[in-house]
Amino acid sequence: MTDLLLFQLRRVGRNKQYLFFTVLLPALFTIFFTKVIGGQAPAGEYQDLAGAVLVSMMAYGAIGAALGATIRIAFDRSSGWLRQLRVTPVPTGSVFSVDVVVGALLVLPSLLVVALVGRFVNGVEFGLGTWLALIGSLWAGSVVFVALGVAVGLSLDAQAAGAAIGILGTVLAALGGLWFPVEMFPDGMAALARAMPSYWFAELGRDVAAGTFAGLPVMALAGYGVVFAAAALVVARRRPLHAVAG
Amino acid sequence: MGGQARGMPEPLALDVRGLTVRYGSATAVHDLTLAVPRGETVALLGANGAGKSSVVNAALGLFRPAAGTVRLLGREPAAALEAGGVGAMLQHGGLPSEARVGEVLALVRRRYDDPWPLADLVATAGIGGLLDRAVDALSGGQRQRVLLALALAGAPPLLLLDEPTSAMDVEGRQAFWTTMRGLAARGHTVVFATHHLDEADAVADRVVVVAGGRVLADGTAAAIKSQIAGRTVRFRCPGLRDGLTGLPGVTGISGDADLVELATSDAEATLRALLDSRTPLPDLEVRGASLEQAFLHLTTQRDATEGALR
Repeated sequence: MTDLLLFQLRRVGRNKQYLFFTVLLPALFTIFFTKVIGGQAPAGEYQDLAGAVLVSMMAYGAIGAALGATIRIAFDRSSGWLRQLRVTPVPTGSVFSVDVVVGALLVLPSLLVVALVGRFVNGVEFGLGTWLALIGSLWAGSVVFVALGVAVGLSLDAQAAGAAIGILGTVLAALGGLWFPVEMFPDGMAALARAMPSYWFAELGRDVAAGTFAGLPVMALAGYGVVFAAAALVVARRRPLHAVAG
Repeated sequence: MGGQARGMPEPLALDVRGLTVRYGSATAVHDLTLAVPRGETVALLGANGAGKSSVVNAALGLFRPAAGTVRLLGREPAAALEAGGVGAMLQHGGLPSEARVGEVLALVRRRYDDPWPLADLVATAGIGGLLDRAVDALSGGQRQRVLLALALAGAPPLLLLDEPTSAMDVEGRQAFWTTMRGLAARGHTVVFATHHLDEADAVADRVVVVAGGRVLADGTAAAIKSQIAGRTVRFRCPGLRDGLTGLPGVTGISGDADLVELATSDAEATLRALLDSRTPLPDLEVRGASLEQAFLHLTTQRDATEGALR
Protein backbone atom coordinates (compact mmCIF):
# COMPACT_ATOMS: atom_id res chain seq x y z
CA MET A 1 0.00 0.00 0.00
CA THR A 2 2.99 2.30 0.57
CA ASP A 3 3.84 2.12 -3.11
CA LEU A 4 0.33 3.20 -4.06
CA LEU A 5 0.52 6.03 -1.51
CA LEU A 6 3.83 7.28 -2.89
CA PHE A 7 2.51 6.93 -6.42
CA GLN A 8 -0.52 9.10 -5.62
CA LEU A 9 1.52 11.70 -3.71
CA ARG A 10 3.94 12.00 -6.61
CA ARG A 11 1.04 12.58 -8.99
CA VAL A 12 -0.47 15.35 -6.90
CA GLY A 13 2.96 16.86 -6.43
CA ARG A 14 3.19 17.30 -10.22
CA ASN A 15 -0.04 19.27 -10.25
CA LYS A 16 1.13 22.88 -10.12
CA GLN A 17 -2.42 24.19 -9.94
CA TYR A 18 -3.13 22.15 -6.84
CA LEU A 19 0.02 23.37 -5.12
CA PHE A 20 -0.77 26.97 -6.03
CA PHE A 21 -4.30 26.93 -4.66
CA THR A 22 -3.64 24.93 -1.50
CA VAL A 23 -0.24 26.23 -0.39
CA LEU A 24 0.77 29.42 -2.12
CA LEU A 25 -2.60 31.18 -2.27
CA PRO A 26 -3.51 30.76 1.43
CA ALA A 27 0.00 31.93 2.35
CA LEU A 28 -0.32 35.03 0.15
CA PHE A 29 -3.80 35.76 1.56
CA THR A 30 -2.39 35.51 5.07
CA ILE A 31 0.10 38.26 4.33
CA PHE A 32 -2.34 40.33 2.31
CA PHE A 33 -5.26 40.34 4.78
CA THR A 34 -2.97 40.93 7.74
CA LYS A 35 -1.13 43.84 6.12
CA VAL A 36 -4.28 45.48 4.72
CA ILE A 37 -6.54 45.20 7.74
CA GLY A 38 -3.86 44.95 10.41
CA GLY A 39 -2.05 48.00 9.05
CA GLN A 40 -4.93 50.21 10.19
CA ALA A 41 -5.39 48.51 13.55
CA PRO A 42 -4.21 50.18 16.77
CA ALA A 43 -0.93 48.71 18.00
CA GLY A 44 -2.52 46.70 20.80
CA GLU A 45 -4.98 44.99 18.50
CA TYR A 46 -2.53 43.91 15.83
CA GLN A 47 -1.68 40.59 17.47
CA ASP A 48 -5.37 39.60 17.81
CA LEU A 49 -6.04 40.53 14.24
CA ALA A 50 -3.00 38.81 12.78
CA GLY A 51 -3.81 35.72 14.86
CA ALA A 52 -7.42 35.66 13.64
CA VAL A 53 -6.36 35.98 9.98
CA LEU A 54 -3.77 33.25 10.50
CA VAL A 55 -6.33 30.79 11.89
CA SER A 56 -8.82 31.60 9.10
CA MET A 57 -6.21 31.11 6.41
CA MET A 58 -4.94 27.86 7.94
CA ALA A 59 -8.53 26.65 7.82
CA TYR A 60 -8.96 27.90 4.25
CA GLY A 61 -5.80 26.19 3.03
CA ALA A 62 -6.63 22.96 4.84
CA ILE A 63 -10.13 22.83 3.36
CA GLY A 64 -8.81 23.46 -0.15
CA ALA A 65 -6.10 20.81 0.24
CA ALA A 66 -8.48 18.19 1.64
CA LEU A 67 -11.13 18.79 -1.03
CA GLY A 68 -8.66 19.11 -3.91
CA ALA A 69 -6.87 15.88 -3.07
CA THR A 70 -10.02 13.80 -2.68
CA ILE A 71 -12.32 15.17 -5.38
CA ARG A 72 -9.61 14.00 -7.78
CA ILE A 73 -11.10 10.51 -7.44
CA ALA A 74 -13.59 11.68 -10.09
CA PHE A 75 -10.73 12.26 -12.58
CA ASP A 76 -9.31 8.79 -12.03
CA ARG A 77 -12.71 7.30 -12.52
CA SER A 78 -13.43 9.22 -15.72
CA SER A 79 -10.07 8.40 -17.25
CA GLY A 80 -10.76 4.69 -16.76
CA TRP A 81 -7.76 4.28 -14.46
CA LEU A 82 -9.83 2.95 -11.55
CA ARG A 83 -11.46 0.50 -13.93
CA GLN A 84 -8.05 -0.53 -15.18
CA LEU A 85 -6.77 -1.05 -11.63
CA ARG A 86 -9.81 -3.20 -10.96
CA VAL A 87 -8.49 -5.80 -13.43
CA THR A 88 -5.04 -5.93 -11.82
CA PRO A 89 -4.24 -7.49 -8.46
CA VAL A 90 -4.20 -3.99 -6.88
CA PRO A 91 -7.09 -4.25 -4.40
CA THR A 92 -9.78 -1.65 -5.13
CA GLY A 93 -10.38 -1.05 -1.43
CA SER A 94 -6.80 0.09 -0.96
CA VAL A 95 -7.18 2.66 -3.76
CA PHE A 96 -10.01 4.19 -1.80
CA SER A 97 -8.21 4.24 1.53
CA VAL A 98 -5.03 5.58 -0.05
CA ASP A 99 -6.94 8.55 -1.46
CA VAL A 100 -8.30 9.26 2.02
CA VAL A 101 -4.77 9.13 3.47
CA VAL A 102 -3.43 11.30 0.63
CA GLY A 103 -6.15 13.87 1.35
CA ALA A 104 -5.28 13.92 5.03
CA LEU A 105 -1.51 14.11 4.42
CA LEU A 106 -1.73 16.95 1.93
CA VAL A 107 -3.47 19.15 4.47
CA LEU A 108 -0.28 19.27 6.49
CA PRO A 109 1.99 21.25 4.12
CA SER A 110 -0.78 23.78 3.69
CA LEU A 111 -1.16 24.22 7.48
CA LEU A 112 2.60 24.40 8.01
CA VAL A 113 3.31 26.96 5.32
CA VAL A 114 0.55 29.31 6.51
CA ALA A 115 1.73 28.88 10.10
CA LEU A 116 5.30 29.72 9.13
CA VAL A 117 4.18 32.78 7.19
CA GLY A 118 2.04 33.87 10.16
CA ARG A 119 4.94 33.46 12.55
CA PHE A 120 7.82 34.88 10.54
CA VAL A 121 6.22 37.30 8.10
CA ASN A 122 3.32 38.61 10.16
CA GLY A 123 4.96 38.15 13.55
CA VAL A 124 2.15 36.23 15.23
CA GLU A 125 3.32 35.28 18.71
CA PHE A 126 1.95 32.02 20.12
CA GLY A 127 3.68 29.69 22.55
CA LEU A 128 5.16 26.51 21.08
CA GLY A 129 2.41 24.45 22.71
CA THR A 130 -0.26 26.62 21.12
CA TRP A 131 1.35 26.32 17.68
CA LEU A 132 1.47 22.53 17.97
CA ALA A 133 -2.09 22.30 19.32
CA LEU A 134 -3.35 24.59 16.58
CA ILE A 135 -1.73 22.62 13.75
CA GLY A 136 -2.69 19.30 15.34
CA SER A 137 -6.33 20.19 15.96
CA LEU A 138 -6.85 21.67 12.48
CA TRP A 139 -5.16 18.66 10.92
CA ALA A 140 -7.48 16.33 12.83
CA GLY A 141 -10.52 18.46 12.02
CA SER A 142 -9.70 18.45 8.30
CA VAL A 143 -10.87 14.83 8.20
CA VAL A 144 -14.38 16.29 7.87
CA PHE A 145 -13.44 17.88 4.54
CA VAL A 146 -11.62 14.76 3.38
CA ALA A 147 -14.92 12.90 3.86
CA LEU A 148 -16.81 15.66 2.05
CA GLY A 149 -14.33 15.58 -0.85
CA VAL A 150 -14.59 11.79 -1.17
CA ALA A 151 -18.40 12.00 -1.26
CA VAL A 152 -18.30 14.74 -3.90
CA GLY A 153 -15.55 13.07 -5.92
CA LEU A 154 -17.47 9.80 -6.06
CA SER A 155 -20.68 11.54 -7.10
CA LEU A 156 -19.48 13.74 -9.94
CA ASP A 157 -17.96 13.18 -13.37
CA ALA A 158 -14.61 14.77 -14.19
CA GLN A 159 -15.88 18.06 -15.57
CA ALA A 160 -18.26 18.78 -12.71
CA ALA A 161 -15.61 17.69 -10.23
CA GLY A 162 -13.10 20.16 -11.65
CA ALA A 163 -15.57 22.97 -11.10
CA ALA A 164 -16.62 21.65 -7.69
CA ILE A 165 -13.09 21.85 -6.30
CA GLY A 166 -12.99 25.60 -6.86
CA ILE A 167 -16.61 26.41 -6.11
CA LEU A 168 -16.95 24.32 -2.97
CA GLY A 169 -13.75 25.69 -1.44
CA THR A 170 -14.76 29.27 -2.25
CA VAL A 171 -18.31 28.90 -0.93
CA LEU A 172 -17.16 27.24 2.30
CA ALA A 173 -14.53 29.93 2.82
CA ALA A 174 -16.72 32.92 2.01
CA LEU A 175 -19.90 31.83 3.79
CA GLY A 176 -18.05 30.29 6.72
CA GLY A 177 -16.38 33.61 7.51
CA LEU A 178 -12.82 32.67 6.56
CA TRP A 179 -12.22 35.66 4.32
CA PHE A 180 -14.31 38.20 6.22
CA PRO A 181 -15.04 37.52 9.88
CA VAL A 182 -18.61 36.57 10.76
CA GLU A 183 -18.80 39.64 13.05
CA MET A 184 -18.95 41.74 9.86
CA PHE A 185 -21.88 39.69 8.47
CA PRO A 186 -25.52 40.84 8.61
CA ASP A 187 -27.68 38.67 10.92
CA GLY A 188 -29.10 36.36 8.27
CA MET A 189 -25.70 35.59 6.80
CA ALA A 190 -24.20 35.12 10.22
CA ALA A 191 -26.82 32.47 10.92
CA LEU A 192 -25.97 30.83 7.59
CA ALA A 193 -22.28 30.94 8.50
CA ARG A 194 -23.01 28.98 11.67
CA ALA A 195 -24.51 26.24 9.52
CA MET A 196 -21.21 25.87 7.62
CA PRO A 197 -18.69 23.19 8.62
CA SER A 198 -15.97 25.68 7.65
CA TYR A 199 -17.18 28.11 10.36
CA TRP A 200 -16.85 25.45 13.06
CA PHE A 201 -13.49 24.39 11.67
CA ALA A 202 -12.15 27.94 12.05
CA GLU A 203 -13.92 28.23 15.40
CA LEU A 204 -12.00 25.14 16.55
CA GLY A 205 -8.77 26.89 15.58
CA ARG A 206 -9.77 30.14 17.30
CA ASP A 207 -10.64 28.30 20.55
CA VAL A 208 -7.36 26.38 20.49
CA ALA A 209 -5.38 29.56 19.74
CA ALA A 210 -7.14 31.37 22.59
CA GLY A 211 -6.57 28.42 24.89
CA THR A 212 -10.29 27.99 25.59
CA PHE A 213 -12.22 24.72 25.60
CA ALA A 214 -13.42 23.86 22.10
CA GLY A 215 -16.34 21.59 23.00
CA LEU A 216 -18.98 23.03 20.69
CA PRO A 217 -16.82 23.18 17.52
CA VAL A 218 -15.61 19.64 18.12
CA MET A 219 -19.18 18.38 18.44
CA ALA A 220 -20.35 20.28 15.37
CA LEU A 221 -17.41 19.00 13.29
CA ALA A 222 -17.99 15.44 14.50
CA GLY A 223 -21.60 15.74 13.36
CA TYR A 224 -20.59 16.96 9.91
CA GLY A 225 -17.93 14.29 9.70
CA VAL A 226 -20.46 11.52 10.36
CA VAL A 227 -22.88 12.95 7.77
CA PHE A 228 -20.20 13.33 5.06
CA ALA A 229 -18.67 9.92 5.73
CA ALA A 230 -22.11 8.30 5.56
CA ALA A 231 -22.82 10.12 2.29
CA ALA A 232 -19.48 8.93 0.89
CA LEU A 233 -20.27 5.33 1.83
CA VAL A 234 -23.74 5.50 0.29
CA VAL A 235 -22.39 6.91 -2.98
CA ALA A 236 -19.51 4.41 -3.04
CA ARG A 237 -22.00 1.58 -2.74
CA ARG A 238 -24.22 2.96 -5.48
CA ARG A 239 -21.47 3.86 -7.93
CA PRO A 240 -18.62 1.40 -7.60
CA LEU A 241 -15.15 2.83 -8.25
CA HIS A 242 -14.79 0.94 -11.50
CA ALA A 243 -18.17 1.97 -12.94
CA VAL A 244 -17.87 3.89 -16.17
CA ALA A 245 -18.43 7.53 -15.41
CA GLY A 246 -21.46 9.08 -16.99
CA MET B 1 -12.96 -28.47 -30.01
CA GLY B 2 -12.52 -29.76 -26.50
CA GLY B 3 -15.11 -28.25 -24.21
CA GLN B 4 -15.61 -30.89 -21.56
CA ALA B 5 -14.14 -29.73 -18.28
CA ARG B 6 -15.59 -32.35 -16.02
CA GLY B 7 -13.12 -34.97 -14.99
CA MET B 8 -10.20 -33.06 -16.42
CA PRO B 9 -7.50 -32.10 -13.93
CA GLU B 10 -7.00 -28.63 -15.39
CA PRO B 11 -9.87 -26.15 -15.15
CA LEU B 12 -11.05 -24.29 -18.23
CA ALA B 13 -9.37 -20.96 -18.86
CA LEU B 14 -12.76 -19.34 -19.31
CA ASP B 15 -15.97 -21.02 -18.27
CA VAL B 16 -19.12 -18.98 -18.83
CA ARG B 17 -22.44 -20.68 -18.18
CA GLY B 18 -25.91 -19.34 -18.78
CA LEU B 19 -24.69 -15.74 -18.66
CA THR B 20 -27.42 -13.11 -18.84
CA VAL B 21 -26.55 -9.43 -18.59
CA ARG B 22 -29.15 -6.69 -18.28
CA TYR B 23 -28.83 -2.92 -18.30
CA GLY B 24 -32.07 -1.70 -16.85
CA SER B 25 -34.75 -3.29 -18.99
CA ALA B 26 -32.43 -4.01 -21.96
CA THR B 27 -30.89 -7.47 -22.12
CA ALA B 28 -27.38 -7.34 -23.60
CA VAL B 29 -26.49 -11.00 -23.18
CA HIS B 30 -28.98 -13.88 -23.29
CA ASP B 31 -28.17 -17.13 -21.53
CA LEU B 32 -24.73 -17.37 -23.13
CA THR B 33 -22.46 -20.33 -22.53
CA LEU B 34 -18.83 -20.40 -23.59
CA ALA B 35 -16.06 -22.79 -22.62
CA VAL B 36 -12.45 -21.99 -23.51
CA PRO B 37 -9.82 -24.60 -22.66
CA ARG B 38 -6.33 -23.47 -21.76
CA GLY B 39 -4.01 -22.62 -24.61
CA GLU B 40 -6.76 -21.75 -27.07
CA THR B 41 -6.98 -18.43 -28.93
CA VAL B 42 -10.60 -17.41 -29.29
CA ALA B 43 -12.14 -14.43 -31.08
CA LEU B 44 -15.50 -13.12 -30.00
CA LEU B 45 -16.62 -11.73 -33.33
CA GLY B 46 -19.58 -9.42 -33.54
CA ALA B 47 -20.83 -6.05 -34.69
CA ASN B 48 -20.99 -3.09 -32.29
CA GLY B 49 -23.65 -3.68 -29.67
CA ALA B 50 -23.58 -7.44 -30.16
CA GLY B 51 -22.83 -7.99 -26.48
CA LYS B 52 -19.10 -8.79 -26.77
CA SER B 53 -18.02 -6.18 -24.22
CA SER B 54 -20.74 -7.27 -21.83
CA VAL B 55 -19.43 -10.82 -21.98
CA VAL B 56 -15.83 -9.66 -21.36
CA ASN B 57 -16.81 -7.27 -18.55
CA ALA B 58 -19.00 -9.85 -16.85
CA ALA B 59 -16.20 -12.40 -17.20
CA LEU B 60 -13.91 -9.95 -15.39
CA GLY B 61 -16.46 -9.44 -12.63
CA LEU B 62 -16.86 -5.73 -13.41
CA PHE B 63 -20.55 -6.11 -12.80
CA ARG B 64 -22.85 -8.72 -11.43
CA PRO B 65 -24.69 -10.62 -14.16
CA ALA B 66 -28.47 -11.04 -13.94
CA ALA B 67 -27.96 -14.80 -14.21
CA GLY B 68 -25.24 -17.34 -14.85
CA THR B 69 -21.76 -18.07 -13.57
CA VAL B 70 -18.26 -17.20 -14.70
CA ARG B 71 -15.05 -18.99 -13.74
CA LEU B 72 -11.60 -17.89 -14.82
CA LEU B 73 -9.02 -20.66 -14.44
CA GLY B 74 -11.45 -22.34 -12.08
CA ARG B 75 -11.93 -19.32 -9.80
CA GLU B 76 -14.38 -16.49 -9.31
CA PRO B 77 -13.35 -13.47 -11.43
CA ALA B 78 -12.22 -11.32 -8.48
CA ALA B 79 -10.16 -14.15 -6.99
CA ALA B 80 -8.60 -14.99 -10.36
CA LEU B 81 -7.63 -11.35 -10.92
CA GLU B 82 -6.21 -10.99 -7.44
CA ALA B 83 -4.18 -14.15 -7.88
CA GLY B 84 -2.64 -12.62 -11.00
CA GLY B 85 -3.85 -15.27 -13.40
CA VAL B 86 -5.66 -12.90 -15.72
CA GLY B 87 -4.57 -9.89 -17.74
CA ALA B 88 -7.14 -7.68 -19.38
CA MET B 89 -7.48 -4.81 -21.80
CA LEU B 90 -10.78 -3.01 -21.43
CA GLN B 91 -12.58 -0.82 -23.89
CA HIS B 92 -13.02 1.85 -21.23
CA GLY B 93 -9.77 1.27 -19.43
CA GLY B 94 -7.39 4.16 -18.96
CA LEU B 95 -4.17 5.46 -17.50
CA PRO B 96 -3.68 7.92 -14.65
CA SER B 97 -2.90 11.56 -15.41
CA GLU B 98 0.24 13.19 -14.00
CA ALA B 99 2.15 9.92 -13.95
CA ARG B 100 4.95 8.46 -16.00
CA VAL B 101 4.57 5.22 -17.92
CA GLY B 102 7.36 3.55 -15.96
CA GLU B 103 5.74 4.45 -12.63
CA VAL B 104 2.40 3.00 -13.67
CA LEU B 105 4.03 -0.17 -14.92
CA ALA B 106 6.10 -0.54 -11.75
CA LEU B 107 3.02 -0.08 -9.57
CA VAL B 108 1.22 -2.95 -11.28
CA ARG B 109 4.24 -5.23 -11.76
CA ARG B 110 5.05 -5.08 -8.05
CA ARG B 111 1.72 -6.77 -7.28
CA TYR B 112 2.71 -9.99 -8.96
CA ASP B 113 4.82 -12.65 -7.28
CA ASP B 114 6.46 -13.48 -10.56
CA PRO B 115 6.13 -10.53 -12.93
CA TRP B 116 7.14 -10.61 -16.56
CA PRO B 117 10.82 -9.52 -16.67
CA LEU B 118 10.81 -5.79 -17.42
CA ALA B 119 13.10 -5.72 -20.45
CA ASP B 120 11.20 -8.52 -22.16
CA LEU B 121 7.84 -7.00 -21.21
CA VAL B 122 8.84 -3.64 -22.68
CA ALA B 123 9.99 -5.33 -25.88
CA THR B 124 6.91 -7.55 -26.16
CA ALA B 125 4.44 -4.71 -25.62
CA GLY B 126 6.47 -2.42 -27.87
CA ILE B 127 6.86 0.39 -25.36
CA GLY B 128 10.62 0.85 -25.61
CA GLY B 129 11.46 4.51 -25.08
CA LEU B 130 8.12 5.28 -23.45
CA LEU B 131 8.97 4.48 -19.81
CA ASP B 132 10.03 8.04 -18.95
CA ARG B 133 7.18 9.57 -20.95
CA ALA B 134 4.30 11.33 -19.17
CA VAL B 135 1.07 9.40 -19.64
CA ASP B 136 -0.69 12.59 -20.75
CA ALA B 137 1.73 12.92 -23.67
CA LEU B 138 1.05 9.50 -25.24
CA SER B 139 -0.67 9.00 -28.58
CA GLY B 140 -3.71 6.72 -28.86
CA GLY B 141 -1.68 3.83 -30.16
CA GLN B 142 1.04 4.29 -27.52
CA ARG B 143 -1.60 4.36 -24.81
CA GLN B 144 -3.00 1.10 -26.07
CA ARG B 145 0.46 -0.49 -26.00
CA VAL B 146 0.99 0.67 -22.42
CA LEU B 147 -2.37 -0.86 -21.52
CA LEU B 148 -1.18 -4.07 -23.16
CA ALA B 149 1.98 -3.95 -21.05
CA LEU B 150 -0.19 -3.61 -17.93
CA ALA B 151 -2.28 -6.58 -19.04
CA LEU B 152 0.88 -8.64 -19.57
CA ALA B 153 2.69 -7.42 -16.43
CA GLY B 154 2.04 -10.59 -14.46
CA ALA B 155 2.69 -12.95 -17.42
CA PRO B 156 -0.90 -14.15 -16.92
CA PRO B 157 -1.94 -17.52 -18.38
CA LEU B 158 -5.24 -15.95 -19.52
CA LEU B 159 -5.65 -12.73 -21.49
CA LEU B 160 -9.05 -11.11 -22.02
CA LEU B 161 -8.93 -8.30 -24.56
CA ASP B 162 -11.89 -6.11 -25.48
CA GLU B 163 -11.33 -4.62 -28.96
CA PRO B 164 -7.65 -4.11 -28.17
CA THR B 165 -6.70 -2.59 -31.54
CA SER B 166 -9.47 -0.01 -31.76
CA ALA B 167 -7.12 2.97 -31.29
CA MET B 168 -4.32 1.60 -33.48
CA ASP B 169 -3.32 2.29 -37.06
CA VAL B 170 -2.77 -0.52 -39.56
CA GLU B 171 0.90 -1.03 -38.67
CA GLY B 172 0.07 -0.98 -34.97
CA ARG B 173 -2.58 -3.62 -35.51
CA GLN B 174 -0.21 -5.89 -37.38
CA ALA B 175 2.45 -5.57 -34.71
CA PHE B 176 -0.15 -6.19 -32.01
CA TRP B 177 -1.43 -9.40 -33.56
CA THR B 178 2.09 -10.63 -34.19
CA THR B 179 2.63 -10.21 -30.45
CA MET B 180 -0.60 -12.08 -29.72
CA ARG B 181 0.37 -14.98 -31.96
CA GLY B 182 3.68 -15.15 -30.11
CA LEU B 183 1.88 -15.26 -26.77
CA ALA B 184 -0.48 -17.95 -28.00
CA ALA B 185 2.52 -19.97 -29.17
CA ARG B 186 3.97 -19.69 -25.66
CA GLY B 187 0.81 -21.28 -24.28
CA HIS B 188 -1.15 -18.23 -23.14
CA THR B 189 -4.89 -18.43 -23.56
CA VAL B 190 -6.08 -15.38 -25.49
CA VAL B 191 -9.76 -14.42 -25.70
CA PHE B 192 -10.43 -11.23 -27.62
CA ALA B 193 -13.46 -9.32 -28.82
CA THR B 194 -13.33 -7.81 -32.27
CA HIS B 195 -15.58 -6.69 -35.08
CA HIS B 196 -12.95 -7.36 -37.74
CA LEU B 197 -13.35 -10.69 -39.47
CA ASP B 198 -9.78 -10.48 -40.76
CA GLU B 199 -8.40 -10.11 -37.21
CA ALA B 200 -10.38 -13.10 -36.04
CA ASP B 201 -9.26 -15.06 -39.07
CA ALA B 202 -5.60 -14.13 -38.73
CA VAL B 203 -5.17 -14.85 -35.05
CA ALA B 204 -7.83 -17.12 -33.60
CA ASP B 205 -7.96 -20.93 -33.51
CA ARG B 206 -11.63 -20.58 -32.86
CA VAL B 207 -14.16 -17.91 -33.70
CA VAL B 208 -17.32 -17.40 -31.70
CA VAL B 209 -19.79 -15.20 -33.56
CA VAL B 210 -21.93 -13.14 -31.20
CA ALA B 211 -25.02 -11.17 -32.18
CA GLY B 212 -27.88 -9.90 -30.11
CA GLY B 213 -26.20 -11.25 -26.99
CA ARG B 214 -26.23 -14.86 -28.24
CA VAL B 215 -23.71 -17.20 -29.82
CA LEU B 216 -24.60 -17.51 -33.50
CA ALA B 217 -21.78 -19.70 -34.60
CA ASP B 218 -18.77 -21.33 -32.97
CA GLY B 219 -16.00 -23.06 -34.87
CA THR B 220 -12.59 -22.80 -36.46
CA ALA B 221 -11.87 -19.58 -38.29
CA ALA B 222 -11.99 -21.47 -41.60
CA ALA B 223 -15.37 -22.99 -40.84
CA ILE B 224 -16.84 -19.65 -39.78
CA LYS B 225 -15.35 -17.96 -42.80
CA SER B 226 -16.88 -20.46 -45.17
CA GLN B 227 -20.22 -19.70 -43.53
CA ILE B 228 -20.01 -15.95 -43.51
CA ALA B 229 -17.39 -14.98 -46.03
CA GLY B 230 -19.76 -15.33 -48.96
CA ARG B 231 -20.04 -13.02 -51.94
CA THR B 232 -22.74 -10.82 -53.26
CA VAL B 233 -23.70 -10.80 -56.94
CA ARG B 234 -25.59 -7.65 -57.95
CA PHE B 235 -27.21 -6.61 -61.19
CA ARG B 236 -30.22 -4.71 -62.54
CA CYS B 237 -33.20 -6.94 -63.00
CA PRO B 238 -36.64 -5.37 -63.19
CA GLY B 239 -38.37 -8.59 -64.19
CA LEU B 240 -39.29 -11.85 -62.50
CA ARG B 241 -36.83 -13.29 -60.00
CA ASP B 242 -38.42 -16.57 -59.07
CA GLY B 243 -35.75 -18.60 -60.82
CA LEU B 244 -32.87 -16.87 -59.08
CA THR B 245 -33.13 -18.59 -55.68
CA GLY B 246 -32.65 -21.95 -57.34
CA LEU B 247 -29.26 -21.00 -58.79
CA PRO B 248 -26.23 -22.93 -57.49
CA GLY B 249 -24.60 -21.36 -54.42
CA VAL B 250 -27.33 -18.81 -53.78
CA THR B 251 -28.15 -18.55 -50.09
CA GLY B 252 -30.34 -15.48 -50.11
CA ILE B 253 -31.88 -12.84 -52.29
CA SER B 254 -32.48 -9.20 -51.51
CA GLY B 255 -32.58 -5.82 -53.22
CA ASP B 256 -35.19 -3.33 -54.36
CA ALA B 257 -37.58 -3.11 -57.33
CA ASP B 258 -34.75 -2.58 -59.80
CA LEU B 259 -31.57 -3.97 -58.29
CA VAL B 260 -31.17 -7.58 -57.18
CA GLU B 261 -28.58 -8.84 -54.71
CA LEU B 262 -27.80 -12.51 -54.52
CA ALA B 263 -25.87 -13.76 -51.52
CA THR B 264 -23.84 -16.74 -52.59
CA SER B 265 -21.43 -19.20 -51.08
CA ASP B 266 -20.00 -19.99 -54.51
CA ALA B 267 -19.85 -16.90 -56.67
CA GLU B 268 -18.28 -18.71 -59.59
CA ALA B 269 -21.02 -21.34 -59.87
CA THR B 270 -23.73 -18.75 -59.45
CA LEU B 271 -22.27 -16.55 -62.19
CA ARG B 272 -21.77 -19.48 -64.56
CA ALA B 273 -25.40 -20.46 -64.16
CA LEU B 274 -26.55 -16.87 -64.63
CA LEU B 275 -24.54 -16.49 -67.82
CA ASP B 276 -25.72 -19.85 -69.14
CA SER B 277 -29.32 -18.81 -68.61
CA ARG B 278 -28.66 -15.83 -70.92
CA THR B 279 -30.41 -13.47 -68.50
CA PRO B 280 -29.34 -9.88 -69.27
CA LEU B 281 -27.07 -8.70 -66.43
CA PRO B 282 -26.74 -4.90 -66.65
CA ASP B 283 -24.41 -3.29 -64.07
CA LEU B 284 -23.13 -6.68 -62.91
CA GLU B 285 -21.00 -6.56 -59.76
CA VAL B 286 -19.47 -9.24 -57.58
CA ARG B 287 -18.25 -8.19 -54.16
CA GLY B 288 -17.37 -9.65 -50.77
CA ALA B 289 -20.22 -9.82 -48.31
CA SER B 290 -19.84 -7.36 -45.46
CA LEU B 291 -19.74 -8.62 -41.92
CA GLU B 292 -23.16 -7.08 -41.34
CA GLN B 293 -24.57 -9.08 -44.25
CA ALA B 294 -22.86 -12.17 -42.94
CA PHE B 295 -24.36 -11.66 -39.48
CA LEU B 296 -27.75 -11.10 -41.02
CA HIS B 297 -27.32 -14.30 -42.97
CA LEU B 298 -26.29 -16.26 -39.88
CA THR B 299 -29.16 -14.80 -37.89
CA THR B 300 -31.71 -15.81 -40.51
CA GLN B 301 -30.18 -19.28 -40.66
CA ARG B 302 -30.41 -19.61 -36.90
CA ASP B 303 -33.95 -18.31 -36.84
CA ALA B 304 -34.92 -20.83 -39.46
CA THR B 305 -33.54 -23.72 -37.45
CA GLU B 306 -34.65 -22.47 -34.05
CA GLY B 307 -37.79 -20.72 -35.27
CA ALA B 308 -40.03 -22.75 -33.04
CA LEU B 309 -38.25 -21.48 -29.94
CA ARG B 310 -38.89 -17.80 -30.51
